[in-house]
Amino acid sequence: MPQAIFVVHLDDYQGFVVEKRHPFSFSLNEKILNLIFYEHEKEEKENLRYSEIDNVRIVSFVDRARPRWMACFVLTADEDYEGLKEEIPGMGRLIIELMVENPELVHLDEILESHSSLGEASEEQRYAQIFLTPSSGLVLEKIENEGVERAAKLSIWLKSQVQSDSVDLRESILPLMDSGIVNVEIIGKGIEAVFLVKDVFAYRAPPVEAITKARKSMPGLAAQYQQRVAEFFAPPPPSRGYNPTIPSDDPNSPLVEDREKIARVLSKKIEYKVLTSLRDEPLSVREISNRTLLQEEIVQNALFSLESENVAAQIGEGIWALVTNPIMESFIPEFVLPLIADKLSNDEITPEIARRHLEILAEKWSGEQ
Amino acid sequence: MIRSLYILGQQSNVIYSKEYAKSESGEGLVEFLVNFAHFISSVDLEGKTEYMGFSGTRIFYAARRDFVFMFVADKADDTAQIEERMTQLVDAFIKDFATLAEANLPLEGLDAKVDEIAVTMVKVAILGYAGVGKTTTLHLLRGETLPLVHDPTIGVSIKKLPDEVQNANIVLWDLAGQSRFSILWAKMIANAQVVIIVTDSTLENVLRSKKLVSLVKEEVPEAKVIGIANKQDLPTALTPERVGQILGIATYELVAIDISYRDRLIQIIRKAILEGKGEAKPVPA
Repeated sequence: MPQAIFVVHLDDYQGFVVEKRHPFSFSLNEKILNLIFYEHEKEEKENLRYSEIDNVRIVSFVDRARPRWMACFVLTADEDYEGLKEEIPGMGRLIIELMVENPELVHLDEILESHSSLGEASEEQRYAQIFLTPSSGLVLEKIENEGVERAAKLSIWLKSQVQSDSVDLRESILPLMDSGIVNVEIIGKGIEAVFLVKDVFAYRAPPVEAITKARKSMPGLAAQYQQRVAEFFAPPPPSRGYNPTIPSDDPNSPLVEDREKIARVLSKKIEYKVLTSLRDEPLSVREISNRTLLQEEIVQNALFSLESENVAAQIGEGIWALVTNPIMESFIPEFVLPLIADKLSNDEITPEIARRHLEILAEKWSGEQ
Repeated sequence: MIRSLYILGQQSNVIYSKEYAKSESGEGLVEFLVNFAHFISSVDLEGKTEYMGFSGTRIFYAARRDFVFMFVADKADDTAQIEERMTQLVDAFIKDFATLAEANLPLEGLDAKVDEIAVTMVKVAILGYAGVGKTTTLHLLRGETLPLVHDPTIGVSIKKLPDEVQNANIVLWDLAGQSRFSILWAKMIANAQVVIIVTDSTLENVLRSKKLVSLVKEEVPEAKVIGIANKQDLPTALTPERVGQILGIATYELVAIDISYRDRLIQIIRKAILEGKGEAKPVPA
């Protein structure tokens, strides 16, 4: 187990600030902090680095989504770095996330002792990023209408939409590429084309599995729980309840707003971990803590946050359950087939681009059907 | 930057004022503010902070209970930031000092509170290739004795200027000049209000340093960029004018090992901070 942990933040004015350390007596100097930071900047893709500076063995972790934070673990002289390679990123991710979201909940000694950690972003968390980057959402809508589009044309369109020349298509398209929604390829003589490969749908599902399990494991609470869920999805008239399948062209519609809320809930790493533990069945704070290895205080805090978004609720003494299950799912964009045909017959795309689009769709979906 | 600050009472009388930077309008400004405060107290600002342009500056004002609060700030200042400070001042004053002011009692502790709110932090980055005298310039600015042995900077060395310049705490970022650390430069100069590009005044180094000017202009376009023609005591040194021509920025002479240059350099930085985005004018020697 590492003998010390310290968390460093690069502040634009004060420079490297050691925000937390354990044990408190552990001391550092500016040179060590500089060299650790430098090591990460040298190889931007790598988020875990091992350094030996002034006879101190340090493993440092950087979450690329939080580039100004470093979680550093000091190893003992005989500790094996290879054995910790799997564990440290998860702990580092949790520490950094907590430092940004709720620093008073960071107790490094407890995290170290309980091996609390956070996993890498799941598929639905990557989808969520699309709706948290406004220009990415715009590009997705456009590409849903076009099916395939030249990157240059898309860039001009985006600039006109946001009325700014500084908007960079590469940045807007990154969450779409990361989540596999679009493919960007050079076709023929240098035409960069953006292909829609998958589409994504965000909604709140009724927590059917959790209700079914509650009927078996806690029959005394199940009826009350079901009632609570029904109030959200099918309240008595005149309330209309929740139906995400009703089409809406209004950009200010509550469903579009709710999609952003869903994206926010899913993208918050700690809340997401607690949320996924509740997808199976209702649990107490202690049970969630045991399953997620997160401290009870952190779990409680995440539950309050989920409650404020109409995701979780307390259904009995100390028992928490999902009222709605926020989900982001991908599906095959069948609607692009006629679009490709139309574009081809109107000479808007070359046969090469059309063929490649069909190939990409087949490659992507043939194995998953 | 907040140049001065005024709190006026029921009869539009000045119950507290503090001046951080000299204002060209002087007495005329105070007279104007007193009359203006009289007007403000007759309108409902709905708890908001408003501002107006006045003689090259911007006057931010807010009213609460019977008091009117005013900041005279630079035009280039970030409006949201000044408004936030105004809210802090108004809240602190109403909470701890309003009753004292109404009873005509001394406002003990207000001065320190005002400094806490109005004094800003200014980041000054010192950039240049290895061995041109960046760290020596940092020592000069801090009035420190020069070390006998050259110890290259690792990454970045961050130190405060011992004296406040106007109402700003100056934080100096001395960036390592070795080429392996060049990957850090863009990130380290983020949010710098002033960037000092130090050259050793040799033709070769000055020509190389042109790249640094481009980097700074791209990464921190809002920052004021100053050139330093260091090592002017050496026979091979180009004149500051020639260095300035090549770099395309206002450039000043320096012998960083000569303590007599300290005040002049601080004046240059002070001027750059005050001018904000405007062009720095050479400070007479």
